[in-house]
Amino acid sequence: MDDVATKIIDILKKNMKEPSDSIALDTPLTDLDIESLDLAVIVFDIEDTFGIEIPYNANEEVEDFATVGSVVDKVKSIMAESKSSGAAA
Amino acid sequence: MAQPKDRRRVVVTGQGVVSSVGIGQDAFWSALKKGECGIGEVTLFPTEELYITIAGEVKDFDPKERCQSKQFMLADRYSQFAGCAAGEAVKQSGLEMPLQGEKGYRAACIIGSGIGGVSTMELSYKMLFEEKKRATHPLTLLKTIGSSAAAHVSIEYGITGPCFGVVSACSTAPHSIGLVYRMIREGLCDLGIGGASEASLNWGTTRAWQAMRVLSPDGLFPFAKGRNGTVLGEGSGVFVLEEYEHAKERGATILAELVGYGMTSDAADMVNPSIDGASSAMQIALDDAGLSPGDIDYINAHGTATTVNDINETRAIRRVFGNAANNLSISSTKSMHGHCLGAGGGVEAVAAIKAIEENIVPPTMGFNEPDPECDLDYTPNEAREREVTYVMSNSFAFGGLNAVLIFGPPPA
Repeated sequence: MDDVATKIIDILKKNMKEPSDSIALDTPLTDLDIESLDLAVIVFDIEDTFGIEIPYNANEEVEDFATVGSVVDKVKSIMAESKSSGAAA
Repeated sequence: MAQPKDRRRVVVTGQGVVSSVGIGQDAFWSALKKGECGIGEVTLFPTEELYITIAGEVKDFDPKERCQSKQFMLADRYSQFAGCAAGEAVKQSGLEMPLQGEKGYRAACIIGSGIGGVSTMELSYKMLFEEKKRATHPLTLLKTIGSSAAAHVSIEYGITGPCFGVVSACSTAPHSIGLVYRMIREGLCDLGIGGASEASLNWGTTRAWQAMRVLSPDGLFPFAKGRNGTVLGEGSGVFVLEEYEHAKERGATILAELVGYGMTSDAADMVNPSIDGASSAMQIALDDAGLSPGDIDYINAHGTATTVNDINETRAIRRVFGNAANNLSISSTKSMHGHCLGAGGGVEAVAAIKAIEENIVPPTMGFNEPDPECDLDYTPNEAREREVTYVMSNSFAFGGLNAVLIFGPPPA
């Protein structure tokens, strides 16, 4: 597991009542006892940690938030996008 | 449930409204009937670094023109809205104001706000922390406090009885109105001004709401399949409530009777509403009014257009109304004026009373495709004529704080 994934799992654990040690990339977020308000806090924490902005709306079902791995992929792609737009500017 | 015969009855003799679809009840109601939307791009503050850039702003509000006295020029926008709405309500009531002597002590003034003068606070923090000013404006504190709207209005109209603000997020207005209703009913007062006001649209507040991930970037579409969150609004709804005999004696024109009030708390979760809390508030209001579910013609729904509220409210209505739910007209006028937060239930109560007056149900706009989980008649996209005798107005706030009002026709 790379650095981004490790950091994201740490953030998830920090926001869980009973953090589990068995969080893997294919773990669905729905298995983690995370409620809607927790998710808003987690997204905020991820944004703050990586200096990015994630377009997340609690009213929409988003595939990007299906599993731990999909969150990691989303974060990586946003980081890559902001890097390339930074280079262009 | 039969009510005691000697119970004091409470009527509405004046109402006032400030909203993104119009200032004053005539402009407001005419817009709602036509399905006009007051939601648009934010103009009150720069939206840099925000991805939510729409709101239901009150346009062209000039306090010099809209408020009675000079004291309101030194008040926060939220108090000015309350002053404007109270002015309209008092004028319509025909009461001789300011009240004199003993009469003042027999009157209440309960005007709440979800958050009070938060834009004044934001400005003062900007001056202190960003511009490194040595002091804030001397009126910062008085403008900010959540009781200043109530205090300003009491000063304006000589109300020397109970006066304070109420805070319960998006249920603030019905809680305030309901309190005045109970004070009059129980004999503490003979009349009162009740309502709420909100003017919290600024950069910091929008940023805070944005972080909760419940705002829609493109519009407020209650109960529709494509709904994707709520849209912040601002405004005020204020009423003159009066004991029925008191109003009759002075020959006042009665707009409606406030017949029922129910309040409950979910005591469960800060953001996820419960069917139990919402449905019990509706049931308590019905019991208070001595009405059956079949007596209600129209529900002005809380209808915030978040995924969870609209399903929960639909299920709660189904639980309380049973088969009678199929004959109800329901709408969320938030689709037009936005979510006025603490003032929401006040602004919406004006729509409820106008619906009784004109036998017209205002529409739910932006209703393009039904959601299978929201299976009631939401009056999609067009106002409807139907006989409206009793109206229920729902408010369900963050924290699980529920308040429901029921209005009926003027006593025969």
